[in-house]
Amino acid sequence: MNGELIDNLHASRYMLNQELQPPTSERKLEEEGGCGVVGFCCSEPVAARHIYEPSRQMHNRGNGKGGGVAALGFKPEQLGVSKDVLDNYYILHIAVLDLNVLQALEKKYIYSNFEVKSAQKLDTVEDWTKISGLQAKPPDVFRYFVKTKSDTLNDFVKKNNLSGLPQEEAEAEFINQISIRLNQEFYASLGEQKAFVMSEGKNIMILKVVGFAEAIIQYYKIEELCAHVWIAHQRFPTKGRVWHPGGAHPFGGINAALVHNGDFANYHSVCEYLAERQIFPQFLTDTEVSILLFDLLERTYHYPLEYIIEALAPTSELDFDRLPPEKQAIYSSIQAAHIHGSPDGPWFFIIARSLPDQKAFQLMGITDTSMLRPQVFALSNGEVQVGLIASEKQAIDATLLSLHKDDARICPVAERYWNARGGSHTDGGAFIFDLKSDDHGKLRITCTDKFGTHIPMPSGSEECNFAKEITAVSAELGSELKPFFEDKDAAAIFKYVKNHSPQWTYDEFQICLNTIVNMAEVDRYTTTVVDALTLLNDRQYGVGNKKRSHIVYIIRMALNKLFSSLPRLDSDTLPDSNYRLIDYASRLSLREPRNSETTLVINVSGFEPEGKLSDATLLMDAYFKGWKHFISYNCIGQRFTGCGLGPETDGVTIDIYGSSGDYVASGIDGMTITIHGNAQDQVGQIIKSGKLVVHGDVGQTFMYGAKGGAVFVRGNAAGRPLINSVGKPKVVLNGTCLDFLGESFMAGDVFNGGGFVILNGVKFDDNGYVVSLKEPYSGSNLFSLASGGAIYVRDPGQQLVWQQLNGCGFHRMTDEDWALMLPYLEENERLFNIKVEELLTVNGEKRSPVEVYRKVAPVKIAALGKKAEEIMATETEELTVSTGE
Amino acid sequence: MVNSLVREKINNSDLPENTRKTQVEQARVAREIKPAPPRYRNELAKYIINRSNACIHCGKCAEVCPQGVHILKPGYKLFAAPRLNVCIGPSCQNTDHYCVDLCPQKALRMVENPMMKVLGDYRWTPDLILSTWKMSETGSAPPVEFGYEREFGNSGGGFDRIKIKFPEKPPIEVKPEEVDTTLELNRRNDGRPQIKLDVPWYGGGMSFGSVSNVTQLSKARAAVAFNTFTCTGEGGYMERLRPYDDHTITQVATGLFGVREETIQRVRIVEFKYAQGAKPGLGGHLLADKVTPSVARMRETVLGISLFSPFPFHSVYSIEDHQKHMDWIKHINRHALISAKVSTPTDVDMVAVGSHSAGAHIVHIDGGYGGTGAAPDIAKKNIAMPVEYGIVKVHDFLTREGVRDKVTLIASGGLRNAYDIAKAIALGADGVVVGTAELVALGCIRCARCESGRGCPRGIATTDTKLQEQITVEWGSQRIINLYNAWRNDLVDILVKLGMRSISELRGRTDLLMHMDYTNDVEPTK
Repeated sequence: MNGELIDNLHASRYMLNQELQPPTSERKLEEEGGCGVVGFCCSEPVAARHIYEPSRQMHNRGNGKGGGVAALGFKPEQLGVSKDVLDNYYILHIAVLDLNVLQALEKKYIYSNFEVKSAQKLDTVEDWTKISGLQAKPPDVFRYFVKTKSDTLNDFVKKNNLSGLPQEEAEAEFINQISIRLNQEFYASLGEQKAFVMSEGKNIMILKVVGFAEAIIQYYKIEELCAHVWIAHQRFPTKGRVWHPGGAHPFGGINAALVHNGDFANYHSVCEYLAERQIFPQFLTDTEVSILLFDLLERTYHYPLEYIIEALAPTSELDFDRLPPEKQAIYSSIQAAHIHGSPDGPWFFIIARSLPDQKAFQLMGITDTSMLRPQVFALSNGEVQVGLIASEKQAIDATLLSLHKDDARICPVAERYWNARGGSHTDGGAFIFDLKSDDHGKLRITCTDKFGTHIPMPSGSEECNFAKEITAVSAELGSELKPFFEDKDAAAIFKYVKNHSPQWTYDEFQICLNTIVNMAEVDRYTTTVVDALTLLNDRQYGVGNKKRSHIVYIIRMALNKLFSSLPRLDSDTLPDSNYRLIDYASRLSLREPRNSETTLVINVSGFEPEGKLSDATLLMDAYFKGWKHFISYNCIGQRFTGCGLGPETDGVTIDIYGSSGDYVASGIDGMTITIHGNAQDQVGQIIKSGKLVVHGDVGQTFMYGAKGGAVFVRGNAAGRPLINSVGKPKVVLNGTCLDFLGESFMAGDVFNGGGFVILNGVKFDDNGYVVSLKEPYSGSNLFSLASGGAIYVRDPGQQLVWQQLNGCGFHRMTDEDWALMLPYLEENERLFNIKVEELLTVNGEKRSPVEVYRKVAPVKIAALGKKAEEIMATETEELTVSTGE
Repeated sequence: MVNSLVREKINNSDLPENTRKTQVEQARVAREIKPAPPRYRNELAKYIINRSNACIHCGKCAEVCPQGVHILKPGYKLFAAPRLNVCIGPSCQNTDHYCVDLCPQKALRMVENPMMKVLGDYRWTPDLILSTWKMSETGSAPPVEFGYEREFGNSGGGFDRIKIKFPEKPPIEVKPEEVDTTLELNRRNDGRPQIKLDVPWYGGGMSFGSVSNVTQLSKARAAVAFNTFTCTGEGGYMERLRPYDDHTITQVATGLFGVREETIQRVRIVEFKYAQGAKPGLGGHLLADKVTPSVARMRETVLGISLFSPFPFHSVYSIEDHQKHMDWIKHINRHALISAKVSTPTDVDMVAVGSHSAGAHIVHIDGGYGGTGAAPDIAKKNIAMPVEYGIVKVHDFLTREGVRDKVTLIASGGLRNAYDIAKAIALGADGVVVGTAELVALGCIRCARCESGRGCPRGIATTDTKLQEQITVEWGSQRIINLYNAWRNDLVDILVKLGMRSISELRGRTDLLMHMDYTNDVEPTK
């Protein structure tokens, strides 16, 4: 936008502020705490009740003192207006806490300024106290479809010299100023709050309450209200007994809604930055400030989304250096202008906005430069597409499952799950789901990162028809597989299925699995069935043109069916079996193992995520009663699995299926935990010894403060893995991680029992072949300030540079190092089928280990150690020191 | 599924039984007061008596002095060096045995020990150090004749300018033996144990590494004797502490050094150290020279490399992470109480309320006056809010939020004596944590060279095997037991003067305090 218009807009807002005299605040009125956030968009409009389940699952990220939802992209008939009105009229949602002010409010702000197409009070249940998730009576919400009267708008444009603005933008500014006036009169200026604008925009609604988010759906009776985009927020404010819905998220700007998980350290500075631009917060929380920032950058400065993201989460350090020069030039200008408005501290935004001129919607997630808040993105592709963003993976899974129950075309397993690397040159720490009409006028989702790069999806395109239930088994296949079961050869069964799966149809695949599950009727086959299905679940292999996520879902269903069919611990007639099933309903039947019973299978569904009614507590009790082997399935993010069993648990095994939760395997000493899927945050904290295997990715602060253990991860880690690790942890990470791998690693001397990490930088392609990632490690900080141990990076292309190391150096890789690594890589091969030979093959050519791997280890730093010479027994020739240059 | 809001309403009977308790036999330590004289024959004293050449060794001074300052051993012609630390100083002039006056040769002269000009600092004045030593030696307050100013330091602020307003006559008459000094730690009514301390304080966390194991054990034994607690600090749980499991707090700090499930399971209280008042924004640190083989082994790190803990917890960046973190520990140990130790930033009130809502039993706010010599001066004196402001702010805010009686508020940071403890409680704390005072009891001279390496001249904050032999556990425990006893007596005395039967009555009674610089109802005294 040209400078003069921006000046005029500022001048106009200045006049408004002169008139309203908004108070300037030195301090946030409401201290933000942490939160649970989830947002999803769907190519079809979906009902509000689908936000219910993920919201409920995020209870432990909130405390019921603030919740909110936003929705965009409605069906016109559900709102009682025509398509034309829905597309072209602004919707104002006004929360009224004191109905006495309604008349005056409407008269002064609504009917005098707007042509009102529809005005309605949102229907509610009669008695709010009947809804358990509410802590106070929610506000009455009035919805107005409005268009600014042309005289009024003309006057406004004239008075404020905004004739250069397109009509549409002038109206947006006018509506925004009306909202500010309304909020000032009925909310900010009063001791007690009477009314405020919840949302202002086209095809958008925000509702919020003092309570849990899902209570909104119940209270306003919008279970069936359909929209393309939904976001929900569970709030955990630090302070407070009595809360006000005005302080809850989402916060709305023109056509946009924002939820936030985190806390700004520089609230005051951001407020000053905004004040210089004539913008003053009225609700005094950092979330409101966030949407004000976004609105300013978008509506006033007309920045493209990429630059808005840059202004919020600036690119720095090595990532900045790696940008192309033309981007560096623009970015440094943006940073110079907006750094004071850039939120500092842990934050993660989910923003949904409607783009009425394009009849399109966007859902985006932006993470801070230091990646201090957890965040997961996912996309489920197909006839119906779903893009999802959440603070925890289980919220994504819960959403997909809820959607799947309504619409079988949506697979409960997303095709891709990934994290953003904040402020990076690789993805910019932000992903945007665009909902735009295709040639047939149907909305379709595309996902891009900050730089507009499309997120590649797995190649399979053929979808499974989940509506069709297939229960058949094949006797022929059964007899063919039977010898394998007799031999207890799960690997052979896996191989058989794997070899056939590219050609098989979904039906054939399903019948095969049914047949395998059926074999478990013979008790002595059960273990082989479990093992075979587990291999099918864990391993990566080609499935032809079918969607891998759909195959994975079929396998998970087969596993669930198998586990649920095992003999129940509380049943009266107990067949002789190694397995006993226990669930929430039968949890009190827990007793010691008898006779041939070895393995306790826990159906985790229904257990609380923590506390005395959690499955982790049951598992702990069972261990103390003598059980040694556990299978937990149907997990939806329950935490602390494997924690609390105490020291010396060698021989104990725990296998976890489903969405495992935070802190799994933290503090374990001796036992083996296998996570058959992605793991979440804080996994393996202070792990002392034992084995942890993750058939997928791991989340934030993986193995923080670990002391030992042998750990194998098939995929990637998010930020800060292995920080402050000591002792002797040995870790193989086959993918990569976001940043800060091994910061302050202190794990002794590798040649003397100390710890190390092997970073392979590989992934599986769609056909199940191991391929190298574009680069093994993109972060700006590798092994910073480490004083012990080593990291072996598979980096045949010599892509790592000294600028990524902070206080450590490249050391010569020797055969002695390789001898240390090899047993772990061999175990890695056994677990994931990532062959050592493949790892040593570069561009089709086998190389020697010392050519393929590079060793990063601490160097002597005078400031940190007095007797460094004695300690540094490592070879330090060819040393590149990253300090002091 | 039970709504998580009602999670607090768990009854006692609902708690599962199987959480493990300590596995070793617990040591018993009697609360017995025995003299624990200084380790050095010529311990520092406030006054010196110089003997001139005029002395004829008549032995008169030795004969008259009831304290036994002058020593003329039989068969010796010359006096041995006087035991100056038992000399009561100039107040002796008012007695009939003032050696200086009685010396027939006028050979004796009493002067203030020039060492007093360099001993200690403004906060820990020589008088406070010497009086603490005396208390540790005898188990009771030093007699007034010694003339120690043992309530106030000379810092010009903090507790040094706050005074307790004693009524001329107590409103009710209370006998010392009736006074209740106990402190309840669990106010959540969540089914976890009610732990009651006999005294309203417990010992602060000092890691093995920052101090010697003898120091840690001495603190632990005193904690047993007074049915209170000591804390491991960040450096792991020494095996030798195990007989004191029931009186030890396992600290989970940001570096997670030495934290294991078994060390969480064997104790009754687990403390999360988010920050220290002496150096908010900095993690713990142990410089290279103190990382001796045994310390490195304990923490499983590299010998001779400085250890820095991060700030803050890498896994906790918000309140819900905080709750998750506590839930984790609560899961591992179903009987432990949880304490959250935080420093005093300007929004400490929010932090305290947040900790309560996240499930902490104890909110421990650590103000800026504390810290050993290892905390950098720039941090120690410039960052945290003075604790006397922090306590009031938190107490008021918790009260306003209606949760004051659901949480135990503990204050720490430079509390030196029973008066400081009483003032902190009158400001609104339930109890306090002490740290440096215990080291002073062991003979610390506040030279502030704790960070310099193993070379603590008094063998306290050292991991050097030779230096730490200067102290025996027996002597060390007795010194701290004696100090605790003297403090308790002082506290009882304060409460009797205020006419209170219980220390809990004193909580939040700011009306009983006055600031010496700016209240209207008092004239400045200094």
